[in-house]
Amino acid sequence: MSATEIAGRMAGVEAGAPIRQSSLWQDAWRRYLRNRGAVAAGIVFLLIVVWCVVAPILSPHDPNRIYFPDAYQGPSWSHPFGTDQFGRDLFTRAALGGRISIGIGFGATVAILLIGVVYGAVSGFVGGKLDNGLMRFLDALYGLPYLPFAILALAIIGTVNFWTMVVALSIASWFITARVVRGQIITLKENDYVRAAKAVGVRWYAILGRHLLPNTLGVLVITIFLELPGVILGEAFLSFLGLGINPPDASWGAMAQDGRDAYRAHPHIIIIPSLAIATLVLCANFIADGLRDALDPRTRET
Amino acid sequence: MNEPLLAVSNLKVHFPIRHGLLFDRTVGHVKAVDGVSFEIPEGQTLGLVGESGSGKSTTAYAALQLLRPTAGSVRFAGRELTELRGEQLRRLRREMQIVFQDPYASLNPRMTVGRIVAEPLQTHGIGTRRSRRAAVGTLLELVGFDPAYTNRYPHEFSGGQRQRIGIARALALNPKLIVCDEPVSALDVSIQAQILNLLKDLQRELGLTYLFIAHDLAVVRSMSDTIAVMHEGVIVEQGPAERVYTRPESDYTRALLAAVPVPDPERMQERKAERRRLAATV
Repeated sequence: MSATEIAGRMAGVEAGAPIRQSSLWQDAWRRYLRNRGAVAAGIVFLLIVVWCVVAPILSPHDPNRIYFPDAYQGPSWSHPFGTDQFGRDLFTRAALGGRISIGIGFGATVAILLIGVVYGAVSGFVGGKLDNGLMRFLDALYGLPYLPFAILALAIIGTVNFWTMVVALSIASWFITARVVRGQIITLKENDYVRAAKAVGVRWYAILGRHLLPNTLGVLVITIFLELPGVILGEAFLSFLGLGINPPDASWGAMAQDGRDAYRAHPHIIIIPSLAIATLVLCANFIADGLRDALDPRTRET
Repeated sequence: MNEPLLAVSNLKVHFPIRHGLLFDRTVGHVKAVDGVSFEIPEGQTLGLVGESGSGKSTTAYAALQLLRPTAGSVRFAGRELTELRGEQLRRLRREMQIVFQDPYASLNPRMTVGRIVAEPLQTHGIGTRRSRRAAVGTLLELVGFDPAYTNRYPHEFSGGQRQRIGIARALALNPKLIVCDEPVSALDVSIQAQILNLLKDLQRELGLTYLFIAHDLAVVRSMSDTIAVMHEGVIVEQGPAERVYTRPESDYTRALLAAVPVPDPERMQERKAERRRLAATV
C-alpha cells in the first residue's frame, strides 16, 4: 500500500463517525446510577418528599384538630406515628411539618444560589481590585457564626413566617457558594474557548452567560444538595428553640420541641420528627456525594 | 498596496510581579516579550519558532489585542490596533482570528458543533438563523468535517476532528489573518500532516495570511515563507525559511536545529558532538 493510500485511509477514519455518542449529562447520569448508595438516598429522598406532599391530602385526620381523649397514643393502625399531647395525628402532622421544613430548605437554597452566583460571578469575572474587595468583605462575614447570624437577621426583620425564615437562613449561609462560583469562574476564564470567544469579539455578558455560567452548572447542582442539609438543620434548630415557625403550623424542629416536655414517657413524639430530619439530611449528603463523583470530569471513563 | 497586512514593531509585554498582604506592590517585571518586530505581507506565512516560554504565544495574543501590550505598535491592514478601544476593536476582530493548540480546551463542552461555528456570525449579527445554519454546513465541509454531526458535542470527537471545528470557527468571519498557535502540537503525528495540509489548502483558496507558531521546526519549515526564531522574549534571527534552515546565522538557531532528532544513529552521534560544542556558546 502506498503512502498516499494510507494517508487517504487515515483521512477516511478521521472524517468518520464521532467516537462517543453521549452528552455530558447522560454520562453523569450513568455514573450516578452506578453508585448504589446515592441511588438509594435519592429514592428515599423522593419518597419523603412525596409523603409530605400527599399524606395531608389523603389523611382522614385534621392535623390541627385538638382532641384530648386521643392524646399521647403510641403508633397504631389509625395513627401510624401515634398522636401528640393534643391528640393530633403525627403521621399527618409530620408530613405537614415536612412540607414547611423542606420548603424552607429549598427556598433558602435557591436564594443562596442566586446571591452566591451573582456575587461570585461578578467577583471572579471582573477580578482585580473589585475581586479583592469583595473577597475581603466575604472573609469578614465568614467570621460570623451561622445560627446567631440567622437569629439576628430574624430579630431585625421582626416577624417570623415561612419567607422571613428563608431570608434569614439564606443571608447567613451564601458565602461558601459565592466562593465556589468565584473559583469556578476564575478557572474557566483561562480556558482557550473563552479566549477564542474574545478573539471573535463576543461581548462580555455573552461570554459570562454562554461560556462561563453554563459550565458551572455541575458544581451548582452539587451545591444545592450540600447547602440543603445545613439549611434544614438550621431551620429545625431555630424552631426547636422556639425562634422559628409558630404553632399551630408545624415544622420538624417545632414538632421536636413539642415532644420535649414528655420525652421520657412518650418518646415517639420527639423521635419521629428527629428521625425525619436525620434521614433527609443524610440522604441529601449521599446525593451530593454521588453527584460530585458523577459530574467530576476526572472520573469520566474513556 | 505595499504595506504588509500585519506589522508589529518593538512590541513589549511585561507582567508585573506583585507582592503584599493587603496592598499589592510591584516588585519587578517578567519581560515575556521584549521588543519584537516583524512584518507579514498579505497571503504569506510567518513562522514563529522557539522553545516553551520564549514568548511566542504572548506575542500572538498581544498582536491580536487579547493581551494589551505594554509598549510598541501593531498595525493591521493600515490601522493601529493598540489605539483601538471597545466597539471599534470588536468590529476589526472579524478580520483576524486564532486557532489554538489544545483542541480539547478551545471548544466549549456545553455547546454543539453547530453553535460553536455559528457563534462568530451570531456575535456580529451576520445573516439570519437559517442562513447561519447553511453557512455552518459550508464551513464544516470546507474543513473536511461531516456536517451531519452539526448537533453533536465536541467531546464526541477526536483531537483532529476537534481541531477542524476550531479552524471552521476561525474561518467563519472570512478573516484576512489567522494566528495558528501551535495548531498541531497536541495531535498525533499522522493527524498533524492532515491538519497542516488543510491549512495550506485554505491559504491557497482563501488567500489567508498566517502567523504560524510552533516549537517543531519541521512543521514550521513546511508552512512558512519567512521564519522568526524567538528566545527569551526577543527575536534572535529572522529571514526566508530556507535560508534560516540551511545557513542559520545565530548560535541559538543552530542549537535549535541541532536538537532535532534524525532517524539515523550515526548522524545522531555527529549531532551530539555538534550540540556539545554549541552548548558552550549559547
